Amino acid sequence: MSAPTASEIAPPGWLVASASDLAPMIPSGRRRRASFQRRTLGTASDALRFALDADERGERLGIVSLDARAKVVALLAALVGVALVRTPSALLVANAAVLAVAVLARLSLGAFVRRAWLAVPVFTGVLVLPATLSIVTPGRVVVPLWTASGIAHGLTQQGLTSAALIVLRVAASLGLVVLVTSTTPWHRLLAGLRGVGLPVIVVQLIGMTYRYLFLLTGALTDMLVARTARTIGLQHDAQARRFVGASVGTLLTRAHLLADEVNQAMIARGFTGRVRVLEASKPAGRDLITVAVVVAFTAALVVGDRLVN
Amino acid sequence: MHIPDGYLSPETCAVAYAVAVPVLAVAAKKVGASVKTRNLPTLAMLACVSFLIMMFNIPIPGGTSAHAVGAAAIAIIMGPWAAVIAVSVALLFQALVFGDGGVLALGANAVNMAILMPFVSLAVYRLVAAGSALDSRRRLVAAALAGYAGINAAGLATGFELGIQPMLFHTADGTPLYSPYTLAQAIPAMALAHLTLAGFAEAILTVALFAYLAKTDPTLLGSRPTRPARAGLTPARLAWLTVGVLALASPIGLLAPGTAFGEDAPDELDLASLGLQAVPDGLARFFGLWRHALLPDYGLPDGSHAVLAYWLSAAVGIALVGGAVYLLGRLIARLSPAPQATPAA
Repeated sequence: MSAPTASEIAPPGWLVASASDLAPMIPSGRRRRASFQRRTLGTASDALRFALDADERGERLGIVSLDARAKVVALLAALVGVALVRTPSALLVANAAVLAVAVLARLSLGAFVRRAWLAVPVFTGVLVLPATLSIVTPGRVVVPLWTASGIAHGLTQQGLTSAALIVLRVAASLGLVVLVTSTTPWHRLLAGLRGVGLPVIVVQLIGMTYRYLFLLTGALTDMLVARTARTIGLQHDAQARRFVGASVGTLLTRAHLLADEVNQAMIARGFTGRVRVLEASKPAGRDLITVAVVVAFTAALVVGDRLVN
Repeated sequence: MHIPDGYLSPETCAVAYAVAVPVLAVAAKKVGASVKTRNLPTLAMLACVSFLIMMFNIPIPGGTSAHAVGAAAIAIIMGPWAAVIAVSVALLFQALVFGDGGVLALGANAVNMAILMPFVSLAVYRLVAAGSALDSRRRLVAAALAGYAGINAAGLATGFELGIQPMLFHTADGTPLYSPYTLAQAIPAMALAHLTLAGFAEAILTVALFAYLAKTDPTLLGSRPTRPARAGLTPARLAWLTVGVLALASPIGLLAPGTAFGEDAPDELDLASLGLQAVPDGLARFFGLWRHALLPDYGLPDGSHAVLAYWLSAAVGIALVGGAVYLLGRLIARLSPAPQATPAA
């Protein structure tokens, strides 16, 4: 008997085909809303992919070599500064500064803008639209739209300024968080949080949660894929709701068992409940300079804003 | 529900952190004491589950779907303190890894979803379930109501935090610096969203999870809810607690602008808009007929110490109304005939 050739031992094509190559599970002539399972599946796998991407991206970039503690301190100072300024122009400067650092850090600008400035700030913009009207935010009407009882109503200066303030503030704050989290691998960010005074036990809890999140998300996506593969035709809402309960219940039971096993493994390896960590290195000169520059810039922005206002 | 950075003033965020951090410290201690060395992996797993629950799209009657928080379910199954830790860590992840919810606003988000929600849910659950069997229909109703009440409490708190922003933080010309909607706008908006979509999603998740575990793994539920109604939370005590919270919160009324409908003093009336030339005679004559109020307008006669005077008014009011109702009850009990003992056959 001759040895099997490479083509004989390779897995069959249907097994290695990506999900997008497969025929849709629910045959239908018209476009319809994805089932709740698929939407949940999409959210879960997107979350995983995104978190992993962040770790890889962080490792690639030069800015990562900055001490994580320095980045966390600078982030907090800048966030408080952005929260304190009171004029749209100061917030425009803050947004420009965030964008400049993103460019310097060689972040993919498209991805950065999508994450920091598209989703939440645009949602905020839509949300505050009614607040630009005089019936919500009274003030000097600059764009009259209608008249009621002899009083002109429309967009007010106060309303427009307020909307600009909140949208720019949300954009700058989220930009800062994205800047730090997408240039810092997760384990370094944790070290940074520990460096600024978060108790070790909390940091370890967050670290363990992050690790097992991948495992449990994998378990959840497996359940959803298995269910989707076995679903033919439409599913009643009541069935779908029972399925949600069953999946979360299974997840909870599994997590409970896993916690026991992990605990036994930890005890077997000598864990007594005390957490020891290697002392982190001292921050280098350029870390201190970075923090000093960010704090000085933020302070200048806040003071300048108050002087102008 | 997840408040991003920029909607709340730094002062509000600081107060929220000041509330959240001590509660989290107590929660860590309580959970640590109950599960000993197991606490770390158990808490980590619970935080994962909490995070994943928030990703589920829950199908709601009517063809749409919404996300749930899951704090009610975790509080019922694992206890409120475990829910506090699990949901807080999940919120931290969402803020740092996915930009969902702010970093400065994390304290406020934790107060709403990780602290208020589990405790409100559990209180409602215990009150309704009180002593019923684990597989009874009443338990399921209790779980659904717990989820519904919990998410609505969290939504109300969020509406309150957003609603006080324009009153407390604005420029000299009235431009709101943070969230621009007042209490009268933010609270109804949040209530509408939570009384409908989010409330149903949370109720469905809580009841579906409870029903599944009651069937498949009652031991997971068994450690907690099988015991009869807790002596600590009787309806009477809950009523007293509610009265206490309302009394403490009464000075919030000081923030509200304008006067209540139909309670204007004659000089506060907008005569032109009512088509009047002068204050009506009867109103002018009878207004201020009684001038001996102990606490006029719920304040001291000289108008000082407004907050303290509100609390004093609340205490006096509660004592007077409570005392009157108590005396009335005693009187009715005395006047009504005592039940006759039925003679033995």
